[in-house]
Amino acid sequence: MRLDLTILAPHLGFLAEGALLTAQVCALALIGSVVLGMLVAIARTSQRKWLNRLAFAYVDLFRNVPFIVQLFFFYYGLPEIGIYIDAFTTGVVALSISGGAYASDAIRAGILAIDDGIIEAAEVSGLSQGTTFTRIVLPIALRTSIRPLGSVLINMILTSSILSTITLNELTGNAKIVASDTFRPFEVYVVLLVVYASLTYLVSLGITLLHRWLNRDMQEQVN
Amino acid sequence: MRYTEFTPFDLWLLAQGLGVTVGLFLVTSLIGVAIGVLWGVVRFYRVPVLMQVITFVAEVLKNSPVLVQLFLVFFGFPAFFKLNMTPVNAAIITLSLNTAAFVYVIAVSSIESIGRDQVEAARVFGLSRWQVLRHVIAPQAMAFSIGPLTALLVNQLQVTSLISVIGVMDLSKIGANLNLRTLKPFIVWTAVGILYYLAAKLVATLGAKLEKRLRAHSAFRGL
Repeated sequence: MRLDLTILAPHLGFLAEGALLTAQVCALALIGSVVLGMLVAIARTSQRKWLNRLAFAYVDLFRNVPFIVQLFFFYYGLPEIGIYIDAFTTGVVALSISGGAYASDAIRAGILAIDDGIIEAAEVSGLSQGTTFTRIVLPIALRTSIRPLGSVLINMILTSSILSTITLNELTGNAKIVASDTFRPFEVYVVLLVVYASLTYLVSLGITLLHRWLNRDMQEQVN
Repeated sequence: MRYTEFTPFDLWLLAQGLGVTVGLFLVTSLIGVAIGVLWGVVRFYRVPVLMQVITFVAEVLKNSPVLVQLFLVFFGFPAFFKLNMTPVNAAIITLSLNTAAFVYVIAVSSIESIGRDQVEAARVFGLSRWQVLRHVIAPQAMAFSIGPLTALLVNQLQVTSLISVIGVMDLSKIGANLNLRTLKPFIVWTAVGILYYLAAKLVATLGAKLEKRLRAHSAFRGL
């Protein structure tokens, strides 16, 4: 009945390894989901009807099916059709695809928020559609959607704990091992809860700073 | 010998799993909304100490993985407090508190969405703080909060899939069992995914209907 955190001391290195793996998975999945989200956001804001519908179906599907079901679908399903990839790659792919659905909504909102005048100015200046998109629309959209993308990342860090169910030993997976080694699950999981909460708090602080730095020219001048 | 074919009984199993998922979802949502609103009221009255404690607890619950919370309650609590914990009890406690933390945020923002002038006017007319909450704030706050609440509940429905990890026989667990027996992951997880998708759509539709009704007083009547 006594909360004794010192028993965790010998296992800190092991937990740190898990945290590092979590960070790797999340970093890769963040890149994957932003790229995917960008493509889907383009499709959802395009003039072509079928592209629009396809993108909507993707977002609708992956937002309304639990992540654990998606993960098992990939993890158990892919070997069935002859694709053998390890838990790490499966985890990154699944996180990217489900994160992409959320990221696309954030980026789409950023694209829709762009003033028509900016696009008209680009057209009048004789820029092609492609150049307008990559040089004008996307940079502005990504810049304004940094905050919602940040909450996608925070959600991703929390969701990555589910990867422990497909034998990937990231932070939660390693904590599970420590808990069964020491027979002190309460201490282990309390610490884990605090670690995740502070980790996401730090990330949200970082996002705020990044947002402020990227949009520094839009800030009102304060005397 | 292992029976690898699908049988009609599997449909019954899936229906049972869906029943467990929906049942737990309804129970934990009701408890969660009740606790969350109660926390919101505590904040409305600005109870000293208690308010800070609630804000801290809600912040930790929102910023840590549900899976870790589930492990803490299911493995940690019995070891630390020396009590018995069935998987279903652990699931109900965790999901209710998790829902409560998010409902708390919605409750606070919808109470604050009512203009100060209305509260002041009501106070001038001699209404007590409770009467203001009951007759002025609650009806408007309810209409305001239904939208975010529906989005939250659709999300919480998917979060219930995590309880399969601690052995509750919900839809995901039935899916995992069927997958192990038949070794046909594509069919099994597609079926499970469709059931979750339909359930999520049902929640979203009901929420939209309720919102329309609650907002009927301020609906645009046309010219």
